Amino acid sequence: MKHSITARLVVMFSLAALATFSLIGVVLYGVLRNELARHQQEQLHTMMQDLEYPLAHMTNAARWSRFQSRLDQMTPANGSVRFWVLSDDPQFQYGKGLAELQLPSNKADGLETIEIPQRSYPLHTITRTIPALQDRPAIRLIIAIDAEPYFHTLHTFLIALIALALTTFLLVALLGYWVARAGLRPLKRLSNEAQALHPRALSQRLNVASLPTELSDLATALNGALSRLEGAYKQLEAFNADVAHELRTPLTNLIGETQVALSRPRTAPQFEEVLQSNLEELDRLRSIINDMLFLARADQGEAATGLVDTPIRQEVSMTVDFFEFLLDEMRLTVRIVGDEHICAPIDTSLFRRAMTNLMQNAIQHSRPGAEIVITIARLVNSVSITVSNSGTPVDAVHLPRLFDRFYRVDPARNDLGPTHGHGLGLAIVKAVASMHGGQVFAQSQDGVTTIGFSVLARGARPA
Amino acid sequence: MKILIVEDEQKTADYLRKGLTEQGCAVDLAHNGIDGQHLALQQDYDVIVLDVMLPGMDGFSVLRSLRTIKQTPVIMLTARDRIEDRVKGLHDGADDYLVKPFSFLELLARLQALTRRGRAQEPVQLRVGNLSVDLISRKAYRNNTRIDLTAKEFSLLAVLARRKGEILSKTAIAELVWDMNFDSNVNVVEVAIKRLRAKIDTAFSPKLLHTIRGMGYVLEVREDERVE
Repeated sequence: MKHSITARLVVMFSLAALATFSLIGVVLYGVLRNELARHQQEQLHTMMQDLEYPLAHMTNAARWSRFQSRLDQMTPANGSVRFWVLSDDPQFQYGKGLAELQLPSNKADGLETIEIPQRSYPLHTITRTIPALQDRPAIRLIIAIDAEPYFHTLHTFLIALIALALTTFLLVALLGYWVARAGLRPLKRLSNEAQALHPRALSQRLNVASLPTELSDLATALNGALSRLEGAYKQLEAFNADVAHELRTPLTNLIGETQVALSRPRTAPQFEEVLQSNLEELDRLRSIINDMLFLARADQGEAATGLVDTPIRQEVSMTVDFFEFLLDEMRLTVRIVGDEHICAPIDTSLFRRAMTNLMQNAIQHSRPGAEIVITIARLVNSVSITVSNSGTPVDAVHLPRLFDRFYRVDPARNDLGPTHGHGLGLAIVKAVASMHGGQVFAQSQDGVTTIGFSVLARGARPA
Repeated sequence: MKILIVEDEQKTADYLRKGLTEQGCAVDLAHNGIDGQHLALQQDYDVIVLDVMLPGMDGFSVLRSLRTIKQTPVIMLTARDRIEDRVKGLHDGADDYLVKPFSFLELLARLQALTRRGRAQEPVQLRVGNLSVDLISRKAYRNNTRIDLTAKEFSLLAVLARRKGEILSKTAIAELVWDMNFDSNVNVVEVAIKRLRAKIDTAFSPKLLHTIRGMGYVLEVREDERVE
């Protein structure tokens, strides 16, 4: 079930109110009960003090009958207060029903609460033994107060408390609902704004200024995500346009050449010529598609598998050997710098592919007769391979974009001669680097352009 | 060589049959997995070309049911260049795979490699016309004239001579000579061929190293050359 924040807040408010109120109620109830008990005890003590003194100074039966009538007067009609006087001499006895109430006649002195089976409320009693004096025997005075009014008060109070608690609970729930609705209004506004975002208007952003602090963080985060999406989307659009462009040229050639060839009777060698030309274009298409598929796989986070710990210098030398004839042709020399013991776990085929592209790039941009320097270095977590060539410097604005697909420093120069690829070479270097948990880097200084990539060293974890 | 092609794409199937028949192979065609499975189990082929995406029964299923009975070499064709596909195919017993779009030359080379496996040892001396290549001493002669070749030039010549009459694509040459098994848009092979040609062909007749535009290179004696 989808939960609503408002409902959750209302429930939480109400529970909090109920808990608070219950705590207060329990404390109040406890205080009241203690106070009432104390009050009754004080009442018993006062009565005892009042009656104890005349009893203690009573010396004969004459004073006793007056005392009896005083007790009669003090006994209320409803029997909520009762008195008993017990002694060995039947003359000095007072009060009835002690046996009915099943009060023990040999009670010790002091305060006591006595539960009586037939009654729902107990009796609070105080007992005092008064020693004999002259003609009067020793007597015991028992005063009992019925606890019913006391419990009645407590009961009424408890009912009032419960009623109040429930009322408060409902009231807080209602108020809480209203408060939550009012409090969440900015969220609703944010959601309305988000809904108003149009898929075509990619540069649209959420209005952060009008939002409270808590939500402005969220909105800023969302705006950040929108910016990244916009960037990615624009890149994708540009990429699609580039792909279309790259594919369009060979396709146009294929269609056009074939149509021209078929529009007149041709000889077999002429057709052969067309087919050969078509094959070149088709091969170009195949190569673009294969490279694009390769890049797509790398984009999806495919990592290189079957890594083998390989001496990097040895692999680099193999690639340089591959270019031997071409280097010779262009009067270029290559110097490899770096310890031959530096190893890294690599997929050799991917590594050679990246190296080949870097070499191709360096050869393409080198002055004739120049030296290409390949540097292998062990970094903290990785091994880096850089290829430096002297030639036309690359402007700083182009450097970070060199590894973008189809990126060309000079858009007008579409064909750069025999060593020219289709603009995916360095993108593939980047893909190979990322498949090995590495990075790419490019810099151009004092007429020397250095482009390189890194692969994760053995045992290192990707950042 | 008897080959079974299981491929539902009509054009692909047709050109494969035509091309392979012209290479001297006996070709059977199946257009769906069920027919393909039936033929593969009933007949004895030297090699089977099996598409992955097939109507009725996919290539992997055909391969699995074939492998329970036979060990005919199988080369899989797939349009999906996914590692899982390759692993699955090779795990199920495919001997090789090709990702579409592939070149016909590449397929031909793979088919020959598959059927060549376990063949008799190759000769130590190769002859193409009046060119002789000694694989042991790594020396080449034209009309008994020693030709001075660098190590890589000799490797290139040996690769071409071993496959005389076979068209080798630039990619195949890069792989066989330099162990670069990927498409590199590099003209290294062109430069290498140019150098080799200068050494073995320029001063001699007939010309042996031919360029097939758009396809690659071939080392062979051509009829029209011999006439000259």
